[in-house]
Amino acid sequence: MLKKYPTLRYILQRGGWYFITFIIAVTINFFLPRLGNNNPVDIIMGKASSGLSTEAAREKEESYLVEFGLVKKVKGEIVRDELGRPVKSSSFEQFVNYIKMCFMGDFGTSFQKYPKKVLDVILDAVPWTIALQLPTIIFGWIIGNVLGVLAAYRRGIFDRVFFPSAMLLSSIPFFVFGMLLVYCFAVVWGVFPAMGGYAGDLVPSFSWAFFSSAGYHYILPFFSIFLCLAGGQAIGMRSMGIYELGTDYIKYAQWLGLKGNRILGYIFRNAMLPQLTGLALSLGTMISGALITEMIFSYPGLGMAMLTAIQNNDYPVIQGGTLIITVSVLIANFTVDILIGFLDPRVKAGLQMGKGN
Amino acid sequence: MAIFEVDNLSLHYLTRFGKKVHSVTGVSFTMEKGEILGIAGESGCGKSTLVNGLMGLFIPPLYPTAGDVRVAGESLMNRSPEDIRQNVLCRKVSMIPQGAFNALNPTRKVKDIAADVMAAHMKGIDRKEIYERLNQRFDLFGMDTKRVLNSFPVTLTAGERQRSVIGISTLLNPQMVIADEPTSALDVTTQKVVIKMIFDLLDKGIFSTMIFITHELPLLRHVADNIAIMYAGQFVEVGTADQIVFDPRHPYTKALMGAMLSAEPGQKQKKPTAIEGAPPNLANEQKGCRFAERCPCVKDSCHTNEQEIRMVAGRQVRCEYAE
Amino acid sequence: MKLLKNLLKSPMFVFGISLLLLTIILAVFGSSIFTVTMDRVGQQYAAPHGKYFLGLDDLGRDYVSLMIRGLQSSLYVGLLAGVIATVIGTFVGIYGGFKGGWVDDLLNMFTNIFIVIPSFVILILISSSFSEGRSLTLIGIIIGLTTWSWTARAVRAQSSAIKTKDHIILAKLNGANTVKIILVHILPYLASYVFMVFILQVASGILSEASISMIGLGPLDTVSLGTILNQAKNTGALGDGVWWAFIPATVVITVIVFALYLINTSMEGVFNPRLRK
Repeated sequence: MLKKYPTLRYILQRGGWYFITFIIAVTINFFLPRLGNNNPVDIIMGKASSGLSTEAAREKEESYLVEFGLVKKVKGEIVRDELGRPVKSSSFEQFVNYIKMCFMGDFGTSFQKYPKKVLDVILDAVPWTIALQLPTIIFGWIIGNVLGVLAAYRRGIFDRVFFPSAMLLSSIPFFVFGMLLVYCFAVVWGVFPAMGGYAGDLVPSFSWAFFSSAGYHYILPFFSIFLCLAGGQAIGMRSMGIYELGTDYIKYAQWLGLKGNRILGYIFRNAMLPQLTGLALSLGTMISGALITEMIFSYPGLGMAMLTAIQNNDYPVIQGGTLIITVSVLIANFTVDILIGFLDPRVKAGLQMGKGN
Repeated sequence: MAIFEVDNLSLHYLTRFGKKVHSVTGVSFTMEKGEILGIAGESGCGKSTLVNGLMGLFIPPLYPTAGDVRVAGESLMNRSPEDIRQNVLCRKVSMIPQGAFNALNPTRKVKDIAADVMAAHMKGIDRKEIYERLNQRFDLFGMDTKRVLNSFPVTLTAGERQRSVIGISTLLNPQMVIADEPTSALDVTTQKVVIKMIFDLLDKGIFSTMIFITHELPLLRHVADNIAIMYAGQFVEVGTADQIVFDPRHPYTKALMGAMLSAEPGQKQKKPTAIEGAPPNLANEQKGCRFAERCPCVKDSCHTNEQEIRMVAGRQVRCEYAE
Repeated sequence: MKLLKNLLKSPMFVFGISLLLLTIILAVFGSSIFTVTMDRVGQQYAAPHGKYFLGLDDLGRDYVSLMIRGLQSSLYVGLLAGVIATVIGTFVGIYGGFKGGWVDDLLNMFTNIFIVIPSFVILILISSSFSEGRSLTLIGIIIGLTTWSWTARAVRAQSSAIKTKDHIILAKLNGANTVKIILVHILPYLASYVFMVFILQVASGILSEASISMIGLGPLDTVSLGTILNQAKNTGALGDGVWWAFIPATVVITVIVFALYLINTSMEGVFNPRLRK
């Protein structure tokens, strides 16, 4: 049955691979922070135990240990060693416990914002990040590639001015460019706000005042990412476009007397496929860069949440954040893979003829 | 009336450093309606540049130096690229390219490519009519029309792709077709199918006149009425197919025939020999006969005298000593 | 060497390499040209004046000194990470591409996992678990170990293309073992490609270091361009218009990365003639 629908088989194949990667990512996400052998409870106890008696401190410590899944429990009772101290569960047991909790939607509790749940911290931040990054990446990719094709087709002056500037833009990391924009537009010229997602005295609501303020604060972060992204895409697309211009089918299209715009369309449609593959490969870096840009602007998205967590050694949030970031990158990659599968007839054909990857 | 006239056509192109390379010099011939002219020569002799010139496609870095090309009396020189694109290409003069299986846009279905061609040249025609015409035309080709038209090129066989290309090139019933090595990279059986298709189209009157470029001389003999041998940008011998293949007069043509492996009657006892040396570099100015360096019967004056076309034994030969 | 001559003809290459050499000279000889000191020499965020032409930071330290130290650190990390990543990536790529079969598939899967899981995330996770002992070298090593995947993929494509070349087949027929074939036959052939890839890895290493330092997970014992930026952000210099706190560092990072990209693009242009006008 699967042989009849090569596209479906392709999706399942890719999906399977991404699932395996997801499992590995979750495992890495769990074990890496534990490399440093730090006990999160010790950190929290440092803050929480001041002024408490030894007995009260010990009880508090045990309750934290339970809450963070660090001790063995049998039938709901803490297992104790011969000195009456709780027995720490093994890493593997902690891992299993962690997975169980994740499935129930409990990604732990934030240290810094105790007793706020990690999930809540993340959910507060994610909408802002999606609102900023999704349009930026999509438009940046599209417009960058269109400019790249134009540069490849009509070379000459357009190329001489455009190419070096695009090259410069694409070398600047998003956050560096962000800093420059903040300095120029927010500090020196005072046209745009330097930080935040919205004006400090407003509270998130469905009001016009809020949305317009949010939009105003959106512009600088948007352009920081958008311009550099588009620049990078344009450079790549220009190379691809020049390559396609030398191919037989484009020469034939010219011999057949097809219109210039139509030929541009041919080039774009073909050159965008490797560009999509390139997008998939660089999505991780792009999203990371965009997150750091958020930090520059103190934009209330996932970037800021991570920054605050890192500065405060808030391990559960750090871990939850990295998990979300990784999962998002995986989902985005999967989406682009499927898109390529639909758009490139050679992929479908390759599967039909039984060739492997 | 002659349907295709080429008058002393010379073409050059500019290299990155501004140097002029004279890739085609002084080519003249005429073709009557229904005639098939074969052009043969080594790689690098200027065939492909000539083809661009014959279609009026003077796209930089290619420029016309001198001469004229006329299709049914209408000159192709000094016209805007848009004019050529709209009115000449594919309508008056059409090209079937070399290596045709890479000539189709891999991300576009065959029917859409064909429709693009029609839309580019015919104003005010709607999609439905385009597809109807396409179906009719492709039915003539002896392929599974519905499947081929709706396929992406990657799922077709090499032969199907080649035939689709021929079909697309002749869609607008051009007066003149230039086939540039249409069978070069195909296996022998597919070659036969393609040749058969070309002749079918000729018979059905889809087009009438053809220039057939190939380096395979036996093929030319079967296909062409007249043959022109090209060397270093010039025609060195032009005559009927039989004259050229069996009774060559120009030293280069003789050498070419000798370098052929073929099962031609009258050719069997000749041993194939390669021609020593290489064609001259056309970026440099040429003096005298261009074949002088490699000619087995070269004489002193060959290096200095410009060789003009003479009539020898009923055909054109560019050699003062040929007979 | 003919290659070098061709490269020198390209204005892009000359410009890029000059920029790069300039920064390297600054890094190597900076301490002899300028007096470099990490001591407090004046007021917090004093504006540029006199010999402190880049101003002072929030601890009263001279930014010229900080920049030179920072440049040295960033270049060091970039180089270290670049070397490690290129070595790992090249060998994984060549081995997989050459061997083919299930070895290739396995290595491919392994590589793809590292490509898709953002290296930045792994950097955060590892760095945050080391609350002490984060040195430049450690960071360089970590970056190198996590960013090789792109190189592996690129090299593998090249390697699997040339394994069908005659001199490789000849070597196999002569009974040479895999390691020997890789070292003696394949690597020299791919040398120029690997070098181009190395340049990109160094650029990526410098950027990764700046990114990770930017969020506060950088080296704890030294100054790098990223830590300078981090400091600027944390003390609010950004919003207060203290331009000397971050503009020099941003300019230098941009210049280095730009120079490296220029070199890479011009090399591509020389190796792949189709890209020339």
